[in-house]
Amino acid sequence: MKASGFPYVVPMLLLSVAFFATPLAVLVGFSFSGPGGATVEHYGRFFGDAFNFRVLVSTARLGLETVVGTTLLGVPIALLYWHSGRTARQVIIFLTLIPMLTSNVVRTFAWIVILGRQGPISETLMALGLTGSPISLMFTEFGLLMAMCQIDLPLIILPLIAILSRTPVQFTEAAQVSGAGPWRILVTVLLPLMLPGLLAGWILVFASTSSSFVTQAVIGGARNVYVPQLIYREVGTLFDWPLASAIAVVLLISTGCLLVAMTMISRHRRLVGHA
Amino acid sequence: MHDFKLSRRHFGMLAAGVAASAALPFSVRAAGGTAIAATFPGNWEDGYRKALTPILEAEGFGLTVAPAMAQDQLAKVMASPGNPPYDTLLMSPGQMATAIENDLIQKIDPSRLKNWNMLDPAFQGEYGPTVTIEVNGIAYNPDMVPRPKGYRDLFENPAYQGKVSWTGFASNTAVMAYTEMAKIFGSGPNDMDAVFKLFKDHPEQLQGVVDSTNHQMTLFQQGEIAVFMCSTGNVARLKSLGMNAEFVQPETGSPAAPVNIHLTKGAKNLDAAYAYMDAAISKAAQDILKMPPTEMFPTNKEVALTPGIEAYVTRDQLSKMVYPDWAAINKNRAAWIRTFDALVAG
Repeated sequence: MKASGFPYVVPMLLLSVAFFATPLAVLVGFSFSGPGGATVEHYGRFFGDAFNFRVLVSTARLGLETVVGTTLLGVPIALLYWHSGRTARQVIIFLTLIPMLTSNVVRTFAWIVILGRQGPISETLMALGLTGSPISLMFTEFGLLMAMCQIDLPLIILPLIAILSRTPVQFTEAAQVSGAGPWRILVTVLLPLMLPGLLAGWILVFASTSSSFVTQAVIGGARNVYVPQLIYREVGTLFDWPLASAIAVVLLISTGCLLVAMTMISRHRRLVGHA
Repeated sequence: MHDFKLSRRHFGMLAAGVAASAALPFSVRAAGGTAIAATFPGNWEDGYRKALTPILEAEGFGLTVAPAMAQDQLAKVMASPGNPPYDTLLMSPGQMATAIENDLIQKIDPSRLKNWNMLDPAFQGEYGPTVTIEVNGIAYNPDMVPRPKGYRDLFENPAYQGKVSWTGFASNTAVMAYTEMAKIFGSGPNDMDAVFKLFKDHPEQLQGVVDSTNHQMTLFQQGEIAVFMCSTGNVARLKSLGMNAEFVQPETGSPAAPVNIHLTKGAKNLDAAYAYMDAAISKAAQDILKMPPTEMFPTNKEVALTPGIEAYVTRDQLSKMVYPDWAAINKNRAAWIRTFDALVAG
């Protein structure tokens, strides 16, 4: 019977309506509120200021850059896991999970030390003679990107591992026997196999990066402004809640569009191939 | 080895036991109610928790110190008018004016404060007592830079290039410094265009702009910055952490701001809130808070100043401090915040 499972979904449905759909509806309603009734003035104010539009683009760009960075780091680690024995797999899982058990605030402040003038990056570059004086990657977009990639890395590794652990390693051996080279195996066998995990990871990483506040504020400083900081400023400093709601709705729609685009691209027939 | 089994009945009893054990110490500790008091994070939070909690407990009240910057306190109280998350707020005159305008705080009944008469009339506000005067200036690391004379020095002496950090206009400390700079580089305290031009002409100064003074203190500890705008309390905190930090009163004068405790409209624990206010202006509490690492200027007349505080300011010098016009600041603050943020982001 098709309807027999519905009662089990009801609590989750009620929770979603009460704690997600309703606040979201309030947020959207607030973004159209004005002293004289419904208005689109707040959206006009947001898009009327070139600075705001630039911040929106920077936020999307940071999210996409982090997706690329975590993919480049995460895929080799997941493949290493796939080809490893039991002990090595446990070590990889442990090392992946351990940062997640630490507060994001603590991890962010650890990055202040790493990226600072007296940090290991600066010291290493000086030891190698690549720079004559200490350098700081604090308040730079590159420094922020490094921190975001490390912080969000587990979000892409774990879905990949979940997919690969159900897949026999012999797939690659079969491809080798059939005469495929390493790159051909990667593109035609491994990537299509990993695509569901990659897609889940991309969505998680992009959503996490574009909505992150602490790391962006602390590592990025005030020069690198992103939408969450803009929303915080409007709510907590300027008390302009309708504008803050409008910005939040714009962020939701723009990140939603990008996520849909990513999903569509990853499901494209030529990408998925014959997997 | 026995199997671990947990029946529904056992689980229910366990949950009830946990709930009862959580409630028990609370009811014993705070028979007279618990005050939810907002304080600034860091030094204030630690100092108030240590100094005031025992005093309130002795009188049968509990105290929950909730750290939040003044603007955040306002935002949270505005979000739930009539049902505030705090019983008391801690803020300077700028935020107080906004709180009064939005009907968020109420006038107090001084007869409920035993220590009220220990305050000078200037510290007896109708919306709550002044608990300290924050004296502002410039913090610097003597190991990294020479002692700055004032704000002009930070822009004109190359020794400070790339070592100074600023914050946006949301911070009271920053606003007070910027109004002073507007006097120096412009036509008066509200001529902020002169300050924006100054930053445009010195883009290297914009590289060290961060979001809060607390964040600056972290960067100062890491040697990332050597100079920032501060209160005497910030420097006292850094010194207590073993940092080589010194406070400078700018040659043009030190901006200062009274810090007051206010009673929120709809405060749920009035008795506890009054007990907390009274404790904050008591000799017992201020004798503790005047010592490092807090070094707060005492407003209770019976509390003698320490040599450390007198090095910054004496009671006689209080009148010579620079007290900004908060009404003018509040009028322009939103526009200044937006302009400065856009300038910093390039």
